Amino acid sequence: MAPPPTIAQQLAAKQREISVAEFFERNRQILGFDNPQRSLLTTVKEATDNGLDACEEAGILPEILVEISKEGEDRVHVSVEDNGPGILRKEIPNVFARLLYGSRFHSNRQARGQQGIGISAAVLYANLTTARPAKITSKVEEEEAAHVLDLFIDTQKNQPRVASEDVVLWDRPHGTKIELVLKARYVRGRQSPYEYLRGTAIVNPHARIVLVEPDGTRVTFERATEECPPIAKETLPHPYGLELGELGYHLKGTKRPTCVEFLTKDLQGVSPRAAKEVLVAANLKASTPPGSVQGEAQERLLTALRGVPLVAPSADGLSPIGAMLIKRGLRNVLGEVRPDFFAPPVSRPAKVRGGFPFMVEVGLVYGGALPADQPIQILRFANRVPLLFQQGACAITNAISNMDWRRYGLDQKSGSGLPSGPALLLVHVASTKIPFTSEAKEAIAEDPEIDRELTLALQGAARHLRTHLSRRTRRDLASEKFAIILKILPKLAEKTSHLVGKPIPDLIPVITRIMDVVNVETSVTSAAEGVRVPVEITNYTPRARVLELFVELPAELLAHATLEPAPDGTEAALGRAWWTLPKLAPSGRTHVELRFPPRTDAEANDFDWYVAGIDEAHLLGADPLPGDWEVRLPRTIVEAAEAAAEEARAPGAGEEEVDYDAAESSASAAEDD
Amino acid sequence: MPRSRARAPPKTTDEDEPRVRADALQPTLALAEAIYDQLDAGEIPRMRLPLRTKQNLSFQARDGVWKLGRQLGTRSARKLDGALMLLRTFYLVDFINEMARDKKTSTLRELYYISEAWEEAKFHSEDESNLLIEDLEVLCTRLREDFRLHPEENGASVIGDLTIRERNRKGIVKTINCRDDVGDGGYSLPFNVEKEKIEFVSTKAKFVIAIECGGMVDRLAENGFDEEHEAILLHLKGQPARSTRRFLRRVTEELKLPVVVFTDGDPWSFRIYASVAYGAIKTAHLSSYLATPSAEFLGVTASDIENYNLPSDHLSEQDIRALQAELTDPRFGTPDWRAEIELMLKNGKKAEQQSLAKYGLNYVTEHYLPEKLTEMGIL
Ligand SMILES: Nc1ncnc2c1ncn2[C@@H]1O[C@H](COP(=O)(O)OP(=O)(O)OP(=O)(O)O)[C@@H](O)[C@H]1O
Ligand SMILES: [Mg+2]
Repeated sequence: MAPPPTIAQQLAAKQREISVAEFFERNRQILGFDNPQRSLLTTVKEATDNGLDACEEAGILPEILVEISKEGEDRVHVSVEDNGPGILRKEIPNVFARLLYGSRFHSNRQARGQQGIGISAAVLYANLTTARPAKITSKVEEEEAAHVLDLFIDTQKNQPRVASEDVVLWDRPHGTKIELVLKARYVRGRQSPYEYLRGTAIVNPHARIVLVEPDGTRVTFERATEECPPIAKETLPHPYGLELGELGYHLKGTKRPTCVEFLTKDLQGVSPRAAKEVLVAANLKASTPPGSVQGEAQERLLTALRGVPLVAPSADGLSPIGAMLIKRGLRNVLGEVRPDFFAPPVSRPAKVRGGFPFMVEVGLVYGGALPADQPIQILRFANRVPLLFQQGACAITNAISNMDWRRYGLDQKSGSGLPSGPALLLVHVASTKIPFTSEAKEAIAEDPEIDRELTLALQGAARHLRTHLSRRTRRDLASEKFAIILKILPKLAEKTSHLVGKPIPDLIPVITRIMDVVNVETSVTSAAEGVRVPVEITNYTPRARVLELFVELPAELLAHATLEPAPDGTEAALGRAWWTLPKLAPSGRTHVELRFPPRTDAEANDFDWYVAGIDEAHLLGADPLPGDWEVRLPRTIVEAAEAAAEEARAPGAGEEEVDYDAAESSASAAEDD
Repeated sequence: MPRSRARAPPKTTDEDEPRVRADALQPTLALAEAIYDQLDAGEIPRMRLPLRTKQNLSFQARDGVWKLGRQLGTRSARKLDGALMLLRTFYLVDFINEMARDKKTSTLRELYYISEAWEEAKFHSEDESNLLIEDLEVLCTRLREDFRLHPEENGASVIGDLTIRERNRKGIVKTINCRDDVGDGGYSLPFNVEKEKIEFVSTKAKFVIAIECGGMVDRLAENGFDEEHEAILLHLKGQPARSTRRFLRRVTEELKLPVVVFTDGDPWSFRIYASVAYGAIKTAHLSSYLATPSAEFLGVTASDIENYNLPSDHLSEQDIRALQAELTDPRFGTPDWRAEIELMLKNGKKAEQQSLAKYGLNYVTEHYLPEKLTEMGIL
């Protein structure tokens, strides 16, 4: 009788290769194919991300066409077409019908794709649910015709199978189109292809994206800029971000003859001096061939690399959106909401976590048709890809919830949690390696470094909001006063004069007492001759004023500006200019004007106006000069400012009186007669 | 139950008699003069007025009523609301002077519509125009009738053995007995109830019972309560109009009849009583002319609800707020009233007058009222 099989033998009998089909079945959730609605979104997303990545690499302005139509009860036909560089015939089967085949895994550069799974997973899902092949059409510029391939994935071997093949003429110079039939369901609204493409359009204002929905509705997200974003450079791996296996892979694959050369030329941030230190610490010779560093020596090398101060990873691999384009993208897509305020977007400088650079960008929009009584809307992005799921588990959401937004003018119960108000926040995290909470790339994981940057960027945007709101309050107050002096006071004078039979008195002294402000009124008007920014300064206070007017605007704008009259000082690099204004008698007025070439992209928010020589309480439409300007003011202005500060300290007249019309008349409402 | 403040009010003097006084317009022009002078001197125009708030009520021991205190508020053109009210004041003054020239009068509601032509100064509601007229009464120490402004005819009705002489619109004097010469609706009070309009001739009645709801007035009339107990029934119609309060004041003063107030048992009814007996906040400047300090509160009281086991409702949040506001209202500052309000808060219940019908239609006239009136020493 044969002895019973040992445990090892029993296990060996069970060992076999796991097919990709099984792998897929077990990981549906993390791959984004766990229900019909989400499967459609994931498919559109993977194909679109790939199209955008390809265009970006080739420096092409992207045109993406997504068409979705119903095919039977629970099946959907999806077609995603891009105008990217196209894919060589020999690569097509592997790209689309082989999992873990991609060009980005080791590239160390910000891209949407990272893993080489995305599009093949969609193909596999289509194969499995409808047994229909993926139809790929792709044309590269140097070839006359396009290749059309019908592809299946051999789920046992993880190998492509070409079901049929053809060559066709295609009316575009280059590009790729993928068509799939899959089990799916189309809905609009939250977490839909529509929402995903809209978000994509906001952070990719250089892309033109068209969506054709099953009912024939054609949605076009027009591009807002004709400029391609700068191509993120491929960077060398930085030792701080290397895992042991990766180090081994690079040691083995390098063509450098010696370890010093490998360290200084194949890795980032290692100076020759640091390399020497590392090798001493790792007990290796400078001349050792990298290929011979194995096993325990590899571990020593990695530990040594982490123990020596190195130059921080460079941010060249990042491709931020930039303040200007965040604003354009938001405005382009949110046009129908007509917000009152687009805060100047905040684009933080690049920082490093582990061996990878990252940066945070924030845009904020306020007012208009945004709902005032609901939680604010949050648009999350990682490397220009909208994140639509797992909002609650995302570091971005946490950073927002942990801030006290009440200080900045939004409602928030007890000072934490999602604030409410008519606001929308756009938050973009860009990195050569985003720490996602899972392979589904739906939420960014908590990380102290990223959290710090998120908070700083959010605070920056929130401060702009607070300034906007306080300016708005002062404007409302001013418009109330203008109503009094322009509409009511003249009539009151007319009525009382008539009743007492005397001539109407001069009202300027009363008007200046009521207003008691210096008003700075600015506007931006665009015409064929150019963009004009006229400024009118009126002294509505009861005494004569000597004032200094300052403006701050983006330096590139100031460079193209004509100032009238000529300013008394400028600081071009900082985008600043200032004027000593002529002495203004009560109700006196003077003008300043900035002129720009036609079609200059300037708006009121680009200009900050400051005035010196009067205190904040008596200033409208401008702010007092911030302390850090360090401008030498004329003596007259300094004296005026001191006098104004004195005046501000003096107790205001009539302040402590009870306002008769505001006093509550308590029970009187119920006592009618 | 709270007893009214005991002192009998002194007889109103002749200067207090309302009629369109010849000098009514002079103070309005003085107001215009003051504002003109301020404008001319370069000052921000403003007026100072006594605050018509419950915090600014002060008890006048001499008259036994609550009048306006000394706290002043400022209406200034520094604020938009103040500026608008100042402008409205002079549109109103102008209109009043115009009416005097043309010998016209206007209802309060008509004035509200007249203001349509005042552009930004137009009133947004009749409340707003009424408040401004009261302001002008206070500032000029005149009555709105002096300004030729009067409310619509919407008077309370009187049923009982009271004979009066009324000079009607055509100047004809009619003698009317408010029980025998009128229909089921009773005698309807005109807005002007002064001597030149209405004179009291005679009465056999022993007291006046002022009632909040029409249904209860009908019940008492149908049951013959006024004849059996020699009472005059007066329908308050909720918060009583000035004419109703003035009428009650004259009845007590000239006919020496006691007045009892019979309302629902809820916080709002307490306020009805307060405005009859102590003076209303809005018209505190006229209290010595409108209030009847000898009027007594009959019920329904919070303890009646318990003692008579009346069908009741829970106090709403609004009711509770109203009761709490009454606790800080100086007019309800007596220990009796405080106890009454606190009891209602404690029990958390309110009841309508007509809930007495629980025990049958005659219960109110055969049991409840005789019992209460005996307790009060009126029967
Ligand atoms: N439309 C396209 N045009 C040109 N090249 C493409 C296109 N789609 C895919 N590719 C190439 O095929 C590779 C595999 O794509 P796939 O989506 O599977 O992986 P990925 O984008 O690298 O990573 P991820 O799994 O994160 O999406 C890409 O790296 C890219 O080189
Ligand atoms: Mg991809």
